[in-house]
Amino acid sequence: MPKRIDWPDLLLGLFLLLVATLTLVATRKLGIGTAANMGPGYMPRVIAIAVMLFGAFFTGRGLLRSHLGIARVQLRSLIAIPLAVALFSLLVEFAGLAIASLVTIIVAAYATHEFRAREAVIFGVAIAALSVLLFVQVLSLPLPIWPDVFG
Amino acid sequence: MELLDNLMLGLSTAFQLKNLMFCLIGALIGTAIGVLPGIGPIPTIALLLPFTFGLEPASAMIMLAGIFYGAQYGGSTTAILVNVPGETSSVVTCIDGHEMAKRGRAGAALATAAISSFFAGTVATLVIALLALPLSALALKFTAVEYFSLLVLGLIAAVVMAHGSVMKSLAMVLLGLLIGLIGIDVNSGVARMTFGITELSDGIDFVPVAMGLFGLGEIIANLERKDERRVVSQSIRDLIPTWADLKQAFPAMLRGTAVGSILGVLPGGGAALPPFTAYALEKKLAKDPSRFGKGAIEGVAGPEAANNAGAQTSFIPLLTLGVPSNALMALMIGALMMQGIQPGPQVMTEQPVLVWGLIASMWAGNLMLLVINLPLVGVWVSMLKIPYRLLFPAIVLFCCIGTYGISNSLFNVWLMLGCAVIGYFFIKIGVEPAPLLLGLVLGPQLEENFRRALLLADGDFTVFVRHPISAGLLAVVVILLLAMLSPAVLRKRKQALTE
Repeated sequence: MPKRIDWPDLLLGLFLLLVATLTLVATRKLGIGTAANMGPGYMPRVIAIAVMLFGAFFTGRGLLRSHLGIARVQLRSLIAIPLAVALFSLLVEFAGLAIASLVTIIVAAYATHEFRAREAVIFGVAIAALSVLLFVQVLSLPLPIWPDVFG
Repeated sequence: MELLDNLMLGLSTAFQLKNLMFCLIGALIGTAIGVLPGIGPIPTIALLLPFTFGLEPASAMIMLAGIFYGAQYGGSTTAILVNVPGETSSVVTCIDGHEMAKRGRAGAALATAAISSFFAGTVATLVIALLALPLSALALKFTAVEYFSLLVLGLIAAVVMAHGSVMKSLAMVLLGLLIGLIGIDVNSGVARMTFGITELSDGIDFVPVAMGLFGLGEIIANLERKDERRVVSQSIRDLIPTWADLKQAFPAMLRGTAVGSILGVLPGGGAALPPFTAYALEKKLAKDPSRFGKGAIEGVAGPEAANNAGAQTSFIPLLTLGVPSNALMALMIGALMMQGIQPGPQVMTEQPVLVWGLIASMWAGNLMLLVINLPLVGVWVSMLKIPYRLLFPAIVLFCCIGTYGISNSLFNVWLMLGCAVIGYFFIKIGVEPAPLLLGLVLGPQLEENFRRALLLADGDFTVFVRHPISAGLLAVVVILLLAMLSPAVLRKRKQALTE
């Protein structure tokens, strides 16, 4: 059954309004200058106002039109993938690339319903070894392989 | 015949055994990193720069250039088979290339991409050789006014290309422009919208944004859809495209090569503009535009030809004026300076061995890539046997490592994480993020040229229509916008979307 509100349009509109407002707040202290000699705040403000107009347009249209609604959000992948990236970021510099890769692969693999624990661990070890070989040994990315405690 | 002499000099340089070897190394590395979703040519070239110090200038440039155009070949393979663009230039190939693969025509799509790239590479090499000198004279006439109008045209072309509504795409372009402004203002040295984060003062890197929006956001959304087949795993029967395929693809190949050759030369065009524009052009010219997005072979041939042609002709401003047309060319300038060569118009006359050797090596490299790629397609196809539940965690990891590698900073990884969530949000609300990326990439140049133009015109906005070239470019923009907003075209688009 169609909903009374066009949620995709409304959410996009609100998102644009939020971004434009944030921009205007963040650049409020920057000088605007004149067209002949623009200050750093000129372009951000011009574009932010344009974004705001678009935001208002979509918000308005979203409230007035009907729509079938958005497909249900499933939290499993929405949590697992960002968590995997976050863990990589938190781990890699002090625990080393090997451990960070393994953790990232296993947590990311959990994002699907087809998750198989044993397979994910074996695959994770293989990919972690490959990453270390390729990125640290061959491409010499400046990352530690193991935590400092191992020397 | 000066041209013949130049080409002979170039060929004799490029076909020295040593230089052929560096060309092959570059092409192989390029293909490999193009295929790997997490790592692009920019970090690879940046990582390899220190190692080229000991090489001769010509050898160093030949190898680095090989990485660059090799990645264009490899990137299309991943785009077609996995639907993950390694770089901006292969974003467009995903649309129809992956769709073709989904319909069991991965072989034809891959072969079309490789043949188009080779064809465009060959033609573009000739174009460089023929037009390097006269084009440098033309590009010298371009002022900030013309650049600004050109950039606007590029952005509007991207809007026409996008799947969704024109309004949403325009909003995305503006959003991209806004993000592109983040960082230290070049003119005043004032930090803008950095929220006190030092990593933001150099501006937002487009690689983590692209990886987040297109790579990870897509993965999150894909995993929700159980029924859909995410990775193509049919056997590839006909690697050699049928005669009908070739006949259909050839005109697109020609047009793509032309578009890429022209846009590649113009500073600001960079790697993103040619394939986007070629796709928009093919869609516009097609008798039945609704086929696009559903596996149209022209949607692979045109953009693939354009990105390879553009990749090569973007060397023209570098070689003739010493002006980089994109981030990669800026790295190339760095490589030249490391060799003690001051980039600029004098390079053409002072370093003929380097310039013409590099140009001739591009043709040799493209020939190698065709030979390397088509037989090796079998290897990539066998990689598809890996189920998606194993493939996507590896892509997530490579995205993390690749993003980290751009500037060895964790900040980019967090940025990618944020963009992944926003990308998922965009997919959920049915917004196409491609125009955002283009706005982000072109934004800084757009502002720079806009400000310079108005500074020189003393704040007079009519300067953009008083210059004839600029006025012509802007007229095309207006025509495009009016056409897209006209009721007839809107109805057609709606039809195309509901089909």
